[in-house]
Amino acid sequence: MSQISRRQAVALLGALGFGAAAAACAGPGGSTAPGGASGPAAPSTGAVTGKVSFAHWRGEDKAVFDELIKRFAAKHDGVEIAQDISTSNDYNAQALQKLRGGSIGDAFATFRGSQFKNFTEAGIYTELKDSKAVGNYQKGLLSAGRNGDSQLGLPYQVVFPMPMANVDLFDKAGAEIAPKNWDAFLGMCEKLASAGVIPISWPGGDVGNGGQLFNCMIANNAPVDDMCAQIEQGKLKCTDDWFLKMLGQYKDLAPFVQPNATGTAVEPAQNLFSQGKAAMLATGSYHIAAVRGLGAKFPIDLVFPNTTSDGNGKYEGAYNATFILGVNSASKNQAAAAAWIDFLSEPENAGYYANQTAQHVSVDKVEYTNPDLKRLSPWLQKKTALAARFQFNNLDVRNAVEASATAVISGTSPEQAAAAAQKIVDERL
Amino acid sequence: MLTSISRRAILAIYAVIIIVPLTVVAFGSFKSTQELFAGPFSLPQSLSPDNFAEVVGGQNLGSSFMNSAIVTGISVPLTLFLASLAGYGVSRLKGFMSWAIFGFLVLGMAIPAQANMVPLYVLFGRLGLLDNLTGLILANVVSTLPIAVFILGGFMRTLPKELYEASSIDGSGPWKTYSSIALPLSAPSIAAAAIFLFVIHWNELLYPLLFIQSPGNRTLPLALLSFQGEFQTNYPLLFAGVILASLPVVVAYVFLQRYFVAGITAGASKG
Amino acid sequence: MSIHPGTAAKRKAPGSNAPANPAKVRRRSPTRVNPALYLFPLPAVAVVAFFLVMPTLQAFQYAITDWNGFSAAFNYVGVDNFVRAFTKDSLFTNALTNNLKFVLLVVIAQTVFSLVLALLLTKNSRGSILLRALFFFPTILSSVSVAFIWKFIYDPNFGLANSVLRTVGVDGGAYLGNDAQALYWVAVTQVWFHSGQMMVVYIAGLQAIPRELYEAAEMDGANKWQQFKSITWPFVAPATSIVVAYTTVQSFKAFDLILGIAGNPPKAALDILSTRIYSTFANSEFGYAAAQSIIFMAMIALVTWLQRRLLRLTPKGD
Repeated sequence: MSQISRRQAVALLGALGFGAAAAACAGPGGSTAPGGASGPAAPSTGAVTGKVSFAHWRGEDKAVFDELIKRFAAKHDGVEIAQDISTSNDYNAQALQKLRGGSIGDAFATFRGSQFKNFTEAGIYTELKDSKAVGNYQKGLLSAGRNGDSQLGLPYQVVFPMPMANVDLFDKAGAEIAPKNWDAFLGMCEKLASAGVIPISWPGGDVGNGGQLFNCMIANNAPVDDMCAQIEQGKLKCTDDWFLKMLGQYKDLAPFVQPNATGTAVEPAQNLFSQGKAAMLATGSYHIAAVRGLGAKFPIDLVFPNTTSDGNGKYEGAYNATFILGVNSASKNQAAAAAWIDFLSEPENAGYYANQTAQHVSVDKVEYTNPDLKRLSPWLQKKTALAARFQFNNLDVRNAVEASATAVISGTSPEQAAAAAQKIVDERL
Repeated sequence: MLTSISRRAILAIYAVIIIVPLTVVAFGSFKSTQELFAGPFSLPQSLSPDNFAEVVGGQNLGSSFMNSAIVTGISVPLTLFLASLAGYGVSRLKGFMSWAIFGFLVLGMAIPAQANMVPLYVLFGRLGLLDNLTGLILANVVSTLPIAVFILGGFMRTLPKELYEASSIDGSGPWKTYSSIALPLSAPSIAAAAIFLFVIHWNELLYPLLFIQSPGNRTLPLALLSFQGEFQTNYPLLFAGVILASLPVVVAYVFLQRYFVAGITAGASKG
Repeated sequence: MSIHPGTAAKRKAPGSNAPANPAKVRRRSPTRVNPALYLFPLPAVAVVAFFLVMPTLQAFQYAITDWNGFSAAFNYVGVDNFVRAFTKDSLFTNALTNNLKFVLLVVIAQTVFSLVLALLLTKNSRGSILLRALFFFPTILSSVSVAFIWKFIYDPNFGLANSVLRTVGVDGGAYLGNDAQALYWVAVTQVWFHSGQMMVVYIAGLQAIPRELYEAAEMDGANKWQQFKSITWPFVAPATSIVVAYTTVQSFKAFDLILGIAGNPPKAALDILSTRIYSTFANSEFGYAAAQSIIFMAMIALVTWLQRRLLRLTPKGD
C-alpha cells in the first residue's frame, strides 16, 4: 500500500468522524415541540392577511370549504387559505408529526378523543377561551375541546354514528323503525329479511367505518359512561359480563348483515344501501351526502340498535361532537388562522356548511334547510350517548377491542374474541 | 401431446389472470361506481374523461405527477452520476483501499429502509429536509446508491485496464478518462441501472409517506394511497389514478422493453 | 419488441476474462495510483456514511431509549424494548409470525411458479416472447396500483373473483375479510406481482444450458423428469438462489402492498413487521420503533443466511 492511500485512508476516517459527530447531534431527545409547561397562550393577534393552511381530513367537504374560503377572502384583503386534506386514517396517524413543525395546519381540525389528547400533550393548541368564536357554540357541546380550564378546540360537527334506515323499505316490510329493546330490534331485522332485503349493510372490512356500530352497541351495555377509557386503564375488562353480553348481541346480528360482511369496504356497503338492496347502513349520518350522491332517493332516518332487554336504557341514540377546530401554536400566522375559525363559527357560515354537507353542527342558532338534516333534527334533542370509541387514546387498543366485535360476526365465540382483545389491552397497561 | 395441452392451458390461464384485471381497470376508469358494480366486465357506456378530470383537478393528481417527475428526473441521474464516479474510482484503485471502499458502499444493500427510518426521520427534521422534494431526492439517492455502485462498479471492473493505461499515457487526467472512456463503454450497464432506478424511484412509497406532509408535495404513489381513506373506496377514481400513475412507466416499457427486462432483472439478481 | 434474457448472460461475459487482466496490468505499469482517483468515490462514500450507515448505527442508540419523538426528555431503558417486543407485545409477535408465514408462502409459491413459467417459455418463439412480455408487465406497476387492482378483485360483493365464481354457483367468501385466509390472498397478489420478474431470471439460466446435454440424455433414454433432475436443476440452481434471496427480501418488505390493500394501519391479520414498525413510529414511540427495526433487520439476515445454507445443501444431497 502506498503512502498516498494511507493518507487518503486518514482523510476517509476524518470524513467518517465528521459524519459521526454530525449524526450525534441528531440523537434522541432535543425539543422539537413548541409551547411549554406554562399552559397554552392565546393566538397572537394582528392583521388578517397572508397565507393560512387549513388541515383536515374531510375530502368530501372540499368544495364547500372552497366556497367558504372565497367568502372569507372577500372580507379580508390579502388573505389566502389553502386546504391541506389527508384521509382520516392518515390524519389520525400522522397529523401530530406534521402539525408540530408548523409547516401545515395554521388552523386545523382534530378527532375527538385520542388525537385531541395527544395534541394537547404536544402543546399544539392555543387557548380559545376568550375567542369570539366560542360564544357561538352550544355550551353543552364544547366539552370535547376542553382540557381543564382551557378551551383548546371547538368541536364543529355533530354526527350520529348510528345505522341509517331506508324508510321506504321499512314501511314495505312493516318493520318498526324505533325498536324499544333488543328483541324488538331483532324482530325488525327478521321482518326486513323475510321481505327479501338485507337488513344491515355493514362495512366490516373497514375499521374506521365498521367500528361506528360499536358506539350504539356499548352505550347501554356498559356500567359507566367512560367505559372505553376505563378499559384502556384496566379498570374494566373485555372479559367482563357486560362486554360479553354485548359481543353476544353482535353474534345475534351476524345472520342479518350482508354475506361476507367482514370483507366489505365502504363504497360497496354504501351501494347496497343506496340501491335499495339493504335496509340499513351501519355507519352514520356523516354518510348521507355520499349515499345521496350514489343515487339514493328514499327518505332516510336513523335507527338505534337498542340493546336493553326492558326498553329502559339510559340512552336512545349515539352522537359525536368532532372535527375539533384549533389554532396551531407553531403557526406563524395565528391571527389569520384564528379569524378563519371565528368565521367558520358564525351561524350563517356554519349553516351553509351544515346544509351543503348534510352534517349537523355544534354552532348555535343555525337554520337547517337541507331536507335530510331537517328530518334528523329531532335526534339533536334526544338522549344520545357521546360516541364511546373515541375515548380510546391508544390506537392499538382501540383496534383490538373493536376487532373483537368483527371476530364475533365472522364466527369466533364471544369469550375467545374478548380474551384475545383483553390480552392486547393488558400488554399496554 | 398431453404435456403440450397442459402447457398451453397453464399459459392461457395465467395470461387471462393478468389481462382481465388490467382490462377491468382500464374500462372501470371510464365508468361511474354504479356502472362498475353493475357489470365489472362490460365495456364502458361512454369514454367520458370525468374520472380523469376529477383525479387530475379535484384530487390534485396533476401536481403529484409533476412532483414524481421532478423527484425521479433528478434522483435517477444523480444516483447514476455518483455511482459511476464511485464505480470508476474503485475500478482504478488497487488493493485493500479499492476493496474497502467498494465493500463499504455495497454493504448498504443489506440495510432495509425500515431499519433506519426513525433516525433518518429525525436527522431530516433537523436538516430541514422534511416536507420538501429535496429530502425525497436525497432519500432516493441514498437508498439506491449501494445497488447502483454494485451494478456499475461491477461492470467497470471488468473493463480492460489497458484502455485506462493508454489514456493516461496520452496525458489525459482521470476525469477525462472517466468521461471519455469509462462512461461511454459502460453505457449498456448504465442504461440497465437507469431503468431499474427509474421504476424504483417512480414507485417509491415509504419515504414520501414518512417525510411529506403537505398535499402539494405528494408524489404519485402517496397521492394514490391517500385516495383510499376511511370514507372513500371509489374504485373508478382509484382506477383512473392507477392508470395515470402507471402511464409513464408503461409507455417506457412498450418502447424500451428489452432494457426494462435486463435492467430490472439486473437489479434483482444483484440485490 | 422482444425480451432477450440473453442480455444478462452477455453482460457477465467480459467478467470471465477479468481475472487475467490485473496481473498483466500490474506487470506493465509499476506506476503509483493517481491520488486524484480517491476523489471519485468520495461523494458516494460521504452520502452513504452520513445518510445510510450513521442512521442505521443510531437506530441502536434509539433502541435503548423510551424517546417519544418530540419531548426533550427521555430515559435509557437498556434492553427493555427488545424484551417487550418478544414477551409483552402480541401485536409485534403476531406481525412477526405473519411475516415469516408470508415469506415462506411467497418464496415457495413464487419460486416454483416462476420456474414453471420459465420452463414453458424457454424457447425464443414469437408466442413465448409475447407471453414473457405480458407476464413481466405487472412488475413495472407500483405496489399501490397493484394493491388497488386486487382490492377490487377480492371485493366480496361486487368484485371480480366472486363475480366469476357466482356464474358457476360458488361463493368465494370474504377473501381479505376472512382473517384466517387474508394473508394467503395477499400472498397470491404478491406472486402475481413479481413472478414475471423471477421468470426472466430463470429463463436466462435455462438458456445457458447447452442443447447437446439434452440430446445426449435422450439418447441414453432418460425421461423428461430425469432430464430435469440431472441437467436442468443443477444448471438453474444458481438462478434459484438469486430468486429465493430476492423474493425473501421483497416479501419481508411488502410494506406498500399491505398498506394499499389493507389500509393504514392494517388489521392484525395482515400486519407484518414493516407495517408494525410504521404504526409504532406513528404512535410516537420512536425508541420502541427503532428496537423493532433492529429485530426486523436481524430477521432478514437470519432468514437469508438459513436459506443460503439450505440451498447449498440441496444440490449436494442429490
